[in-house]
Amino acid sequence: MTPLVQAILDGLLVGGVYGVVAVGLSLVFGVLGIVNFAQAEFLMLGMYVAWFAWSFLGLDPMLGAVLALAAGFMLGYVIQRLLVQRVMSSDHVAQIFLTVGLLAVMENGALMIFGPDFRSVQTDAQMISYRLGPFFISAVYLKAFVAAVAISVALWALLNRTWLGRAIRATAQDAPAAQLFGINTRWIYGIAFGLGAALTAFGGGIVLSFAPAYPTIGANYVVLMFTVVVLGGLGSVMGALLGGLLVGIVQSASTLVLPIQLQNLALFVIFIAVLALRPEGLLGKAAK
Amino acid sequence: MTTKAILLGSALALGALPAMAQDTIKIGAIFPLSGPNAQFGNSSVNGMRLALERMQEETDGIADRVELVVTDVPAPGDAPAATQRLINNDGVVGLIGSFSSSITLAASEITERAQVPMISHSFADQITERGYEYIFQISSKGSAIGAAQLNHAVEIAEAEGVDVSSIAILYEDTSYGTAQAAGIRDAAAEAGIEVAVDQGYPLGISDVSPLINSVRRAEPDIVFPVSYLNDSLLIVRTMRQQGLSTPVVGGAAGYIIPAFKDGLGEFTENVFSVAPANYDYVPEINADYEEAHGTFMPHEALMYGAALQHMITAIEEADSTDPVEIRDAISALEYCDGFASGLPGECIAFDETGATTTGFPIFVQWRGDDIVTVYPPESAREEPIWATAD
Amino acid sequence: MKRSLLILAVIAIAAILLGLALDPRSYGVRVLCLILMAAALGQAWNIVGGLANQISLGHAAFFGIGAYTSTVLQVQFELTPWIGMPIGAVLAAVAAGAIALPTMRLKGPYFALATLAFGEICRIGAQAMSGVTGGPQGLSVPFYGDSLAMMQFRQPGAYVPLFAALFFLVSAVFAVMSHGRLGYMLRAVRENEEAAEVTGIDTVRIKLTGAIISAACTALVGGLFAQFTFFIDPDTVFSTTEISIRAALIAIVGGVGLLWGPIVGALFVVLVEEFLNSTLSDALPGISPFLFGVALVVIVIARPEGLVSFRHLVTDRFGKKGKEA
Repeated sequence: MTPLVQAILDGLLVGGVYGVVAVGLSLVFGVLGIVNFAQAEFLMLGMYVAWFAWSFLGLDPMLGAVLALAAGFMLGYVIQRLLVQRVMSSDHVAQIFLTVGLLAVMENGALMIFGPDFRSVQTDAQMISYRLGPFFISAVYLKAFVAAVAISVALWALLNRTWLGRAIRATAQDAPAAQLFGINTRWIYGIAFGLGAALTAFGGGIVLSFAPAYPTIGANYVVLMFTVVVLGGLGSVMGALLGGLLVGIVQSASTLVLPIQLQNLALFVIFIAVLALRPEGLLGKAAK
Repeated sequence: MTTKAILLGSALALGALPAMAQDTIKIGAIFPLSGPNAQFGNSSVNGMRLALERMQEETDGIADRVELVVTDVPAPGDAPAATQRLINNDGVVGLIGSFSSSITLAASEITERAQVPMISHSFADQITERGYEYIFQISSKGSAIGAAQLNHAVEIAEAEGVDVSSIAILYEDTSYGTAQAAGIRDAAAEAGIEVAVDQGYPLGISDVSPLINSVRRAEPDIVFPVSYLNDSLLIVRTMRQQGLSTPVVGGAAGYIIPAFKDGLGEFTENVFSVAPANYDYVPEINADYEEAHGTFMPHEALMYGAALQHMITAIEEADSTDPVEIRDAISALEYCDGFASGLPGECIAFDETGATTTGFPIFVQWRGDDIVTVYPPESAREEPIWATAD
Repeated sequence: MKRSLLILAVIAIAAILLGLALDPRSYGVRVLCLILMAAALGQAWNIVGGLANQISLGHAAFFGIGAYTSTVLQVQFELTPWIGMPIGAVLAAVAAGAIALPTMRLKGPYFALATLAFGEICRIGAQAMSGVTGGPQGLSVPFYGDSLAMMQFRQPGAYVPLFAALFFLVSAVFAVMSHGRLGYMLRAVRENEEAAEVTGIDTVRIKLTGAIISAACTALVGGLFAQFTFFIDPDTVFSTTEISIRAALIAIVGGVGLLWGPIVGALFVVLVEEFLNSTLSDALPGISPFLFGVALVVIVIARPEGLVSFRHLVTDRFGKKGKEA
């Protein structure tokens, strides 16, 4: 019993991080209808922002994540207005491959600007864990989890309690109608894409607290992010957060019965099953 | 054609000019300079450039005419075209590369058929076990490195009076990880040591808690992780978090690069790792490297620098730019100068399969910002310290 | 259709002649092989991606199955790839049938993501089944020097006719399907699945047939790839980026659903890549994939219908007909 509870605890904590990293992808799909293959590159970028903040300003990655949030928003907004907006009415194929091109540009742009070096931070929390009876709770993952919950609450409040949030949701549901009500949907698309990028970049800041930054780190997360949003329901914001927790738990708990090598296999099988049987996500419409 | 040969022959006889004077001699370098292994590829090339520079300063030979043609091969799928291009368009007479075993395997299929020699420092056993004539491997094979990782650790521990009866192997499921883990596993079986945990995990794992949980439950005497940087940091930190004091003996790659220290700080102190070579044999070359790049010289820079110098010397010995003759010269040469003096056998030589006859794996241990060779005793610069983390 | 087949044959023969004219050991001849291989791969993808508009991002699964089947059979039983490759095609067709069942009804991005996950499953599977596949350490094709019987040659030049034949085969399959009943029905499904069903088209069977043929063709390309590069590992032949996305990319850059799309796409993609690699590779690491990404972004924004659509600019200007490819 203890190993199972421990596995669930571990999965829950890291799953919170997955949720934040992936929620931006879901938001972009929900509002713009675009699957953004370059989304994980904002995570990489957020990691670099947080690393520079740590290295030069001495900021903890959790605070650096806030800077990453701002940088991610600005870059995301600009990319949407300059590039993504132009394919909003194109075929899915064109949309997907615009983001594949962006992925190559961002990943290799980072290599040219930052070089290939691994950049990690050292914080006290990395070496500490709290004991709860027989259980261990890693301080660094706990901090990451708390930050993830905090940003999720903030996002929820933004979407549900502000005019901007209502405008975003209205655009997601029916853009022409939203436009009739005086919402500048082009502007909203920019905001939503920027917000999505910002959330993933924030997640990058959190990830930096336990993993080193380097130009191709995004590739480690991209498939995981898709899994999270599919389990939670593509386009559903709260679904993505819950999907993150679920993926974390499946990854962690599956290791009790399967070799760890196959942890992602378990995940992908569930992924396809969910898509086939419940394309609205495991958590369904309720999570939206 | 014949007149040219006669002219050349007489020029040689007069000792006026070396063969094909003035022409640059091109040597190809195939490395991942972008993609996930970019850092290792770049430091390998840095080592080669330094090796060439020093050779040009120190000798009056052929090195002055050597030009390194570097090309970026991030993945094995890109290797054949790049190799062919270097051979046919650039006219390289030999190749050095490619850090990762799979890229080396792919590239050497082309060099074999084109009959152009290639020297590699990749670990995979198959590299020199396919019966190929044009590929040379200057480091020990992965299985031998894995065996040394286990055997040396057990010897050091037992010399300190610590009994080793069970171990844990944690490896990433890449070519390098699986090959070396197999070496550890076989050596453990031979030594009658129980492998209590034997877990492969996907590259780029984001949480190693499941691995460490299984280590904690199994209580092995030593943990042998074989991984690149990302996972090596996670493994050491997570063990720390859970207060596990089991000694960690790293499997080269992520454990012996400067970034390991950047990520872990004081917690690297006394961490052991197996290594194919270490810079403390050649402090003077290392000082040059450190001045240029700001860190100590990682082993891949040393090894590939040595590989290049071996090839250049072989070209000189062959007195020819014919790749087939260069291949024979590489095979026959025992090179013990320059960078090669920094390798464990202090020389480079190959057997008929192209495997090294001089190289053997060593043990290093972190001391402050440096890694120090501590085993085997005849190679050691300092005594090993078998300290369990407190 | 006859005209299309004739032009395809002319292209294939021209490629063989060009191969004969070039130095058989040269880099140029290898690039020619790569172009033909890319065109065949893009065309195989085009059968489902273009005709039925199902954006598969998992074709690496079939490519890898093809590459591994013929190579494993050679390593274990010394079976010639002339037999091994068709077996690989059959296995890939079975796999395509298996994955089609749960994913067939999915649309657009949902289908793309499900197939992407399937490709990843195959990659992890190949890594885990190390007894058969050699695991992450990969497999080398046994060395036979020059042997037509084992479909293996020292010089890339000898592969030109093989790649040209494969290119012709896959393209002809596409052309025949595209003009025939099956292509008509696949397009009907693409335009409006419900309407197609109402008119009595068995949409499930149609899509399944398309998926199976596409997978079998892809597996043949994978098998020949293994013979051409002599070394395969799971990360290479089951690669999402290098195979799955690339297959789609070739078709999309050229023009999705058009016979000439993957051909133009392959020319563009391979030539630009190789040009960037050979000129910029040692200038600044990352610059060539960076510029390739820029080119892709520009093409998608400027010509979302693919490069073939440039033809309309020319033909329209000169007042000729030619909207249909």
